[in-house]
Amino acid sequence: MTQSGTSLWQDAWKRLSKNKPAMVSLGFIVFIILVAVLADVLSPYSYETQNTVERLMTPNSKYWMGSDQLGRDLLSRVIYGSRISIAVGMIVAICALISGGIYGAVSGYVGGKIDNAMMRIVDVMYTFPSLLLVILLTVLFGRGLFGICVALTIVSWVSISRLVRGQVLQLKEMQFVEAAHAIGVRNWAIIFKHILPNILGPIIIILTFEIPSAILTESFLSFIGLGIRPPLSSWGSLANDGFQAFKSYPHLIVFPGLAIFFTVLAFNLLGDGLRDALDPKLKNVSP
Amino acid sequence: MTLVYILKRLAISIPVLWLLVTLTFLFLRIVPGGPFDQDKALPPHIKANLEKEFDLDKPVVWNTKKWSEGHYIQFFTETQYFYAMKKLVHGDLGPSFKYRTRRVTDIILESLPVSIELGLYAVLFAFLLGIPLGILSAHRHNTWIDHTSMFFAISGVTLPSFLIAVILIYFFSIQWGMLPAGLWDSGFEYKVLPVVALGIRPVAIIARLMRASVLDVIQADYIRTARAKGLAEFPLMMKHVVKNSLIPVITIAGPLVAAVITGSFVIEHVFAIPGMAKHFIQAVTNRDYTLVMGVTIVYAVFLIVANITVDVMYSVVDPRIKLS
Amino acid sequence: MKKSLYFILCFGLVFSTFLGCTKKHKLDNETLVFNLETEPPTVDPTKTTDTTSSLVIENLFDGLLDYDLPNLTVVPKVAKSWDISKNALVYTFHLRDDVTWTDGKKVTAYDFEYSWKRMIDPKTAAEYAYFLFDVKGAKDFNQGKLKDEKQLGIQALNDTTFQVTLAQPVAYFIHVATFPGLMPLRRDVIEKHGDKWIEPQNIVTNGPFILTKWKHDYEMILTRNENYFGPKAKLKTIRCLMVTEQSTALSLYQTKKLDIIRNLPALEIPKLKTSADYRSGNFLGSYYIGFLTTKYPLDNKYVRRAITAAIDRNQITDLLEKGDLATTSIIPKGLLGYNEKIGIPYNVEEAVSWMKKAGYKLQDVEGEKQWVDTETKKPFPTITVTFNTNEAHKTVIENLQQQWKKNLYIPVEINNQEWKVYIDSLHSARKTPDRVGFHIFRLGWVADYPDPDNFMSLFTSYSDNNNTGWANPKFDALVEKAKVVLDPKKRAKLYDQAQKILLEEDAAILPIYIYAHQSMWRDEVQGIALNPLDSWKLDEIWVQRKTAQK
Repeated sequence: MTQSGTSLWQDAWKRLSKNKPAMVSLGFIVFIILVAVLADVLSPYSYETQNTVERLMTPNSKYWMGSDQLGRDLLSRVIYGSRISIAVGMIVAICALISGGIYGAVSGYVGGKIDNAMMRIVDVMYTFPSLLLVILLTVLFGRGLFGICVALTIVSWVSISRLVRGQVLQLKEMQFVEAAHAIGVRNWAIIFKHILPNILGPIIIILTFEIPSAILTESFLSFIGLGIRPPLSSWGSLANDGFQAFKSYPHLIVFPGLAIFFTVLAFNLLGDGLRDALDPKLKNVSP
Repeated sequence: MTLVYILKRLAISIPVLWLLVTLTFLFLRIVPGGPFDQDKALPPHIKANLEKEFDLDKPVVWNTKKWSEGHYIQFFTETQYFYAMKKLVHGDLGPSFKYRTRRVTDIILESLPVSIELGLYAVLFAFLLGIPLGILSAHRHNTWIDHTSMFFAISGVTLPSFLIAVILIYFFSIQWGMLPAGLWDSGFEYKVLPVVALGIRPVAIIARLMRASVLDVIQADYIRTARAKGLAEFPLMMKHVVKNSLIPVITIAGPLVAAVITGSFVIEHVFAIPGMAKHFIQAVTNRDYTLVMGVTIVYAVFLIVANITVDVMYSVVDPRIKLS
Repeated sequence: MKKSLYFILCFGLVFSTFLGCTKKHKLDNETLVFNLETEPPTVDPTKTTDTTSSLVIENLFDGLLDYDLPNLTVVPKVAKSWDISKNALVYTFHLRDDVTWTDGKKVTAYDFEYSWKRMIDPKTAAEYAYFLFDVKGAKDFNQGKLKDEKQLGIQALNDTTFQVTLAQPVAYFIHVATFPGLMPLRRDVIEKHGDKWIEPQNIVTNGPFILTKWKHDYEMILTRNENYFGPKAKLKTIRCLMVTEQSTALSLYQTKKLDIIRNLPALEIPKLKTSADYRSGNFLGSYYIGFLTTKYPLDNKYVRRAITAAIDRNQITDLLEKGDLATTSIIPKGLLGYNEKIGIPYNVEEAVSWMKKAGYKLQDVEGEKQWVDTETKKPFPTITVTFNTNEAHKTVIENLQQQWKKNLYIPVEINNQEWKVYIDSLHSARKTPDRVGFHIFRLGWVADYPDPDNFMSLFTSYSDNNNTGWANPKFDALVEKAKVVLDPKKRAKLYDQAQKILLEEDAAILPIYIYAHQSMWRDEVQGIALNPLDSWKLDEIWVQRKTAQK
């Protein structure tokens, strides 16, 4: 069964590469990640050096995106902001996927009373207003990159665990898994060799949707004053700074806003493309 | 059968709710800063008077002093937790810590209807726009129409809501002067911008779901047969395809309403709407323990009811799914 | 396909029909729309501590005395005159006999006696009870040590005479008689309705306005009190809206949905300043930076002096552009004791020499200048500044960081916290400075009453508001002495001495600026006088709309 995986992936790639929006998005995402990695090289100025003479300037040839209230180059800040935003998105998505995935897989695979108990916990988490949880956690863990990622992970693993559990439950009933059981393959081997490769598709799709959703949640946190702490800034916190001045200095909100818009859009289009390519029947995965 | 199922689910929800309340209670006590910490510090005994008034003079979860005195029951009862639970069981959470002369129950009763009104409008808006978009793009699958309408729909989920609000306010209020930039007076014009700003995310969700659903149905055998028989395109779409593909979309209405109502903080804040979501964030910021508790419970009940609704809806729509 | 188009068309139609029947809110010459910004936590005078509640209370109630703005002198209100005994211990207020409550009953001295006693009653748990702690027996009564009300120095002698006896003479006590928390109250109304007595259907007041509607978290309607004893309010109705988001309030103002907005979005101010509607003025509030004076390396007063001298305060006020007044003195301008010559001014050379005096040497390490302790050879540590999350504070602190780095080569990290966490960490900094993650914090103080004592007593070693850990018995003694000296000139001298110790010798805090408030209103709104107390007398405002609204 695993052997057929290769051709499945090739098929998927073929289908994906025909999807223009998804491919453009993929290119854009690679570009943004490169920007984030190469921020030191790419940004024309330091993101924190203040120049109080040249403050609140509209975009011009020196400052392509203008400057902020402390005379800092907005372009450099947006470039560095990509680091935080992308990092938050990736870290949260991956951590949530690992924790939620393992939780869901174990619950679904083991089944019985343990499954029942584990799902009750998920039920409680579902009832917990995630907003309250996020706020309390960020207040508690502080507002560094670490704290924000932990808080966002804690609220986003739940839905993933449910999804993975559902997939695992389905697979468990499949003949090839039962056959593996019958010939005495060990549990962990079954999980890694048979089940995991088969739920990899949905997992990748979840990942592409989880990243933008974490980026957006982070910007929401910035809005309520719980975002990343200065002088670091994410796109969300930059946009929130600009929010206060959108009438007089629209450039302060427009550029970070566009950065969020295009990045989240790209992840969404890619996610849609992947879904169509990998598993057209999978409809439950939406942001 | 369905009724028994609903009752059973509700019964299970009670311990879930209790656990939730307990967790919230503990969390609030762990988070640094208390309701009476301000920049103008209070003399210690004035703070003590206040804490006495709000039952904060007792230990949080267990009273070791009473234990050592031999009052073993009071070890549990003479605590903040027990007092809070007792009030909760009586259905009255007591006064708010911030709004000292208002009771939490009153605050919720006044603000919840506003949030519900806003949320229902937003979901209605989302259905009215999302369903046609979804049909359109499924029907013209993989054409520029499909891509444009999906792009339009997805745009709704790509911006944080405060940015959406800013864009709407900037154009509709400031540039064109068509609609008010805030407030929640009775006129219709006051509802438009907040409803659109709040509804734009659900539009995307519904449009995508509708599109997927229509695509599914179009490929079904009976539609192919109908088409092969030469049934005209328009009646075919309306009578068979749309009707059948609406089902999964309608089932998510419940959770969507719950999500929209509980997620309207930014919109309520930006548009100065006196709803409950606004209290949620502010109550946490103020460490208004009783108000946070009240709002949390209301939200949790919303979510529980929404979850039950969706399960029941599924079984009603698709008899193959059994309620258990 | 057609059907879906039809759907969209229908939707558009519905949408536009609704737009068509848009009604405009009428603005006439009898109504003013005022932005109150937030829901007043309560309008029960005894239980308030915040400015929003006070603003409303001052327009609903009349107290014993009032301020003549902007001179800040105390003038009669419900009390037509008052006597102070020779030993400055007994204050006797003579009340007018023509002041009535909104239900027609007379306002008597007993209503004042009730409200003053309610303030210190431990059962009320009033946060501002300490305002009356100079009154005989009040502190003990509030702590539950004294049970007998009769031993309190608060007494109505008859319907029109109210007498207060102090435990010790206090120079500023007369200001207490203007305090919004001590408005007269109706015992019968409060006892009948409990906490709900402040709702419009129950409330009984004696001021220029009546609270006729209160939609919580949204609006309050104040209506002119036609039976008011003084000059009646010029406007019939004031609609107080609670638009918290400043940028929304500004949008509403610009689209003429609001007549007066206070507090403008910090970043919009540079543009708004050019508008004729923009008004600003200083008030009695100081913005300062505090040092943890018991924590290394700020436990050295020369380091603190150096850090103070390295800051150009004008750069900050210029950045904020909201009319704040850069200051070296903690007593704000407009109060007795303000002295612009006191404090450490911006002087980089002096800052450098103080660093040397503190025992540090400037060295070049890998091309960057760095201070090194001459004895231990350890480099000067990175200093952490903390502040509560807020746009304007962020600007100030980020600029300070930059200035310290540039002018004094001191590495600075900044760290902001959510408000309550911030307050909590400030309070614990006093007890355990080494366990909190910062060296420097920011705070502001706005006068409760216009007297320098309100600012100076903050920094006594026993003050609950002294978060610096700084203690100087000389300073404490000076402040205590100035409290009871009645002669203004002598008081001013004592405060000069005290400020010198606090700001120059020990440099425990670094005052940055005296706050300015900003507001906007159009010329059609008249009768507003910005004042140093930021007090809003809504009854004096009138409007003359230029063009009738559609």
